[in-house]
Amino acid sequence: MKIHNTRGGRIFDAVNYVFLSLIGIITLLPFVYVFAGSFATEAEITRRAFFVWPEQFTLGSYEYIFATPAFVRALVTTILVTAVGTLVQLAFTVTMAYPLAKKTLRGRNVILSLVVFAMVFSGGMIPTFLLVKDLGLLNSYWALILPAAINPFSLIIIKNFFQELPAELEESAKMDGATEIGILWRILLPLSKPVLATFALFYAVGIWNDFMSPLLYLSDNSKWTLQMYLRQVTAASDLLGTGNVDPNYIPPEQGIKFAVIVVATLPILIFYPFLQKHFAKGMLIGSVKG
Amino acid sequence: MAAPVIDTLAGERVRKSAPAPRNRGRFSVHFAHYKWLYLLLLPGVVYFAVFRYAPMYGVSIAFKDYVPFLGVNGSPWVGFRNFEDFFANPDFPRLLGNTLILAFLNLGVAFPLTIVLALLLNEVRLSILKRTVQTLVYIPHFLSWTIVASLSFLLFALDIGPLFQLLNTVMGTNIDFLSDPAWFRPLIVLQEIWKNTGWGTIIFLAALATVDQDQYEAAIIDGAGRFRRVWHITLPAIRSTIIVMLILAIGQMLNTGFEQIYLMTNALNREVADVFDTYVYFVGITQGAYSYSTAVGLFKSLVGIVLIFGTNWLAKRFNQSGLF
Amino acid sequence: MIRRKLSLAAAVATATALTLTACSGGDTPAADLTSVIIMAPFLEAQPPSADGAVQKKLEELTGKQVKINWAPNASYEDKTNITLAGSDIPQVMVIQTKSPGFVKNAQAGAFWDLTDKLDKYPNLKTTFPDIQKNASVNGKVYGLFRERSPMRTAVMFRQDWLDKLGLQPPKTVEDLYKVAKAFTEQDPDGNGINDTWGITIPKWGALGTNSPYDVIEEWFGAGNRWTERDGKLVPSFETDEFLQADRFIKKMVDEKLINPDFATFDPTKWNEPFFNGKGGMIVDVDSRVSVLVNLFKQADPNNFQNKVGFVGNLVGPDGKLHAHPTDGYSGFLAIPKASVRSEAELDKVLQFLNTMNGKDVAVLLNNGIENVNFTVQDGKAAAIKPETPEGKAVSTDIKSYAQLGMNVAGNQFYPVKQPSDYEQQVFDKRTDVMAQDLKSAVYNPAAPYVSETYVAKGAQLDNIVADARIKYLAGQIDEQGLKDAIKLWDASGGNKVKEEINKLWQDNK
Repeated sequence: MKIHNTRGGRIFDAVNYVFLSLIGIITLLPFVYVFAGSFATEAEITRRAFFVWPEQFTLGSYEYIFATPAFVRALVTTILVTAVGTLVQLAFTVTMAYPLAKKTLRGRNVILSLVVFAMVFSGGMIPTFLLVKDLGLLNSYWALILPAAINPFSLIIIKNFFQELPAELEESAKMDGATEIGILWRILLPLSKPVLATFALFYAVGIWNDFMSPLLYLSDNSKWTLQMYLRQVTAASDLLGTGNVDPNYIPPEQGIKFAVIVVATLPILIFYPFLQKHFAKGMLIGSVKG
Repeated sequence: MAAPVIDTLAGERVRKSAPAPRNRGRFSVHFAHYKWLYLLLLPGVVYFAVFRYAPMYGVSIAFKDYVPFLGVNGSPWVGFRNFEDFFANPDFPRLLGNTLILAFLNLGVAFPLTIVLALLLNEVRLSILKRTVQTLVYIPHFLSWTIVASLSFLLFALDIGPLFQLLNTVMGTNIDFLSDPAWFRPLIVLQEIWKNTGWGTIIFLAALATVDQDQYEAAIIDGAGRFRRVWHITLPAIRSTIIVMLILAIGQMLNTGFEQIYLMTNALNREVADVFDTYVYFVGITQGAYSYSTAVGLFKSLVGIVLIFGTNWLAKRFNQSGLF
Repeated sequence: MIRRKLSLAAAVATATALTLTACSGGDTPAADLTSVIIMAPFLEAQPPSADGAVQKKLEELTGKQVKINWAPNASYEDKTNITLAGSDIPQVMVIQTKSPGFVKNAQAGAFWDLTDKLDKYPNLKTTFPDIQKNASVNGKVYGLFRERSPMRTAVMFRQDWLDKLGLQPPKTVEDLYKVAKAFTEQDPDGNGINDTWGITIPKWGALGTNSPYDVIEEWFGAGNRWTERDGKLVPSFETDEFLQADRFIKKMVDEKLINPDFATFDPTKWNEPFFNGKGGMIVDVDSRVSVLVNLFKQADPNNFQNKVGFVGNLVGPDGKLHAHPTDGYSGFLAIPKASVRSEAELDKVLQFLNTMNGKDVAVLLNNGIENVNFTVQDGKAAAIKPETPEGKAVSTDIKSYAQLGMNVAGNQFYPVKQPSDYEQQVFDKRTDVMAQDLKSAVYNPAAPYVSETYVAKGAQLDNIVADARIKYLAGQIDEQGLKDAIKLWDASGGNKVKEEINKLWQDNK
């Protein structure tokens, strides 16, 4: 695609590129510090306010974390639960969004209103807990997936996206004899890749970062997810200065905090670039012509 | 003759063959025709009924003096007392003011910036730069507010923080940003921008990815410059996304988030820092008061729903697509 | 593992079934308790494993199957409430603080009232009746309190700076001022630049949280949160001594003897100025002394012995020592009524807890397993070096198991032997100084009492005074402004709090 660039356009590009690079650096730098800190000793972290590489390299923090099989198990568990959970949640959401995209469907507005309502109102932590318990989901990984199966916000956006797709696609498919489900599966979904990728990311991050659900629903220690450990390590030292902490407690070294943050964050950071492949432009070219 | 290109899936379809079932007429006929759609709808509806609506009785906690041991039903009923306490509290006007001001600042500053950033990223044609910055820019979203606060303390530290020195030199002042009430809100908004703008661009970038490239080519041939292309093609293409995001953001307006503000609050800026969420936290630790926080939450939800339906209606009046 | 869980489940089911049948009548003797479920917080990065050596030994020593539900201490209060709202309630729950949430549940009947029930169990009869009273709710004892050393206040300083300037460790608050001034003005690190100060105080200020402010105010004689004046209890901030103390602190702030960003300084970085040679003194808990020593040791293992010095509480301007204690306890072990239904069952659980508080279990929970991770040398627990994998597993686990320690009759376990002679000296000195200061401890007379108005709005009320104190120190308001804030506290509900506390105090004298 030839882009004829004016002089103004070229200046804009240059400024834009520099600006965005700066933004990239500003957002990256703190994480670099955390990453570097995870390889540093407590003494160095205390001594140096900010650095991007430790003078005294140590693996002590990572050794501490990975020493117990419990942590590694939590890492693997979290990855699995996130993968399965994302698929389940996405499936629930898409199957509900597609019908709701049809304005001629009766009951649509009522259902949508209820969805929006549920986005803002909630029964609260304890009633939801009692429900999960009554459903027999306590201590099961499904308790981490099902209660959040559909995020109303995601549902609405995906529905809107389906609404925007050209009608010809469906019409021509119908004339070829396709069923509703067939249309959804074979035509709309492939076209919706950017949106699906986006919400796969959102759901995945939601499950990955969820700390409350494992806390409330998983009483069996061997089933814990990564966030429990992360929260545990970072929240404890935040209580200093409130007098709320057991006096015998000495907070974990900062290096350990950093290491846990790195381990709990890195997988998701790597996940996104894979999804970016689906953000290629011009997905609709060639699908509807004339 | 084919219908014009704007006809969407959601619109009414005109067929040459059998007439499509209207919205009038018997439901059973309607249902039979659309049965596959209703089938697809079923899992979702069941989900909402079970996981979202069944626990809704918990809302009654706002009207009780809830003691976890006694359960929801066993806890004594107090009617509107929690709400009265909340509204009659002498701090209420201040809390309301602080919450609203922060909300509007976030909406007015952070929200547009998200769109601007998405547009800027979209204009990058050097793929490697675009993808790198896109990935980097949402990293802060994953760092906890504790880290953000620590960084802020570092950067704005009295006398020695780099940003402290930079800003004060440029402005010729000697302001302690961390304790000066006038700088609390800008600091909070700045943190919010740094942490969440990148993440917020994801939705817009996904929407931008589906913009029809043919239109750009046509516009270039017509001699449109960069800015005009953005203004006349790009923005309108994502207009519905922007509106939906805006409506949803407005609906969430009163949720300022507790952690960020709590970390940045201190004795010297508390006047402007206290918002509903931090206040509920304070009451929470003294009362263990689920009732109180449920009542305040209920209040926020009511305001939120009114805002959502209100702005949605407004959008429809201006002939835009809304949530529905 | 599964078989074990099934047999455990069977045991619990049997026990429950038996106790249910036993409950049908009056106090028919319950079947013997074969298993106990405990809910406890853990503060480390990971909880102990259910089949670790410590767990096995615990069951051996108590003769019961002990299932511990470890919950992360972040959001432990939520977890407690969820558990109470549910139906699988453990027989023993560790409660971390006497929060009003807990008080509400207790007063609604969630937990057994153990007042007067404990004396017949030899290990549960406390040797600290004052602390037990502090831990009670208006006199009612709702659990076995977890004793934590009540005296922890220390003033730590850069010993090398003190030596360089030829000064003596401070004994009085006047000395504190002098040393702080010297540290600020006389270039103790010898680098020719005026870049040091006396005392570092971080962002802190809620009342009654053992902050440096609370400590100094107590040294001046203002009392500990509440104090008796003319036969009544008044909050400490309504005394003249409170104002005197704050004037003193303000003087130090104005003369730059305290870090200028005291209102915003990040508490997680408290060690930094001390370590980096900027702020020479810290007023905090004595365990921080060992943390600081350890930092210097990490940085330079050959030359760290002369960096950190400390003393205990300081004598006030009235010539007396008012030592500032903590409450002396850190929560308690409560027994929910929903899972322990009769007096007979309660007796069994208390017997179990009695064993838990005996010497053998205390050593297990706090020291570990002899000859696996420690040996006894001179009455101290010396860690076995080099650490074997089994030893490491045990020493990691006990950090969490120690949460179950009640120690209501004092520490039955061995003190830990420190890694080097110097550190042992420091540790011993800490113990001595604290024991000495404990004799002059001034407790909070209102600690056992829960005022309804305080439960409803206490935290906000306290903020009025706490914030005013900081603003006064920062120079944003003058002393009249501080006094006005105190009056505002009174008018906004503080007067009711005073009434209620005084009534409770009188009734329970």
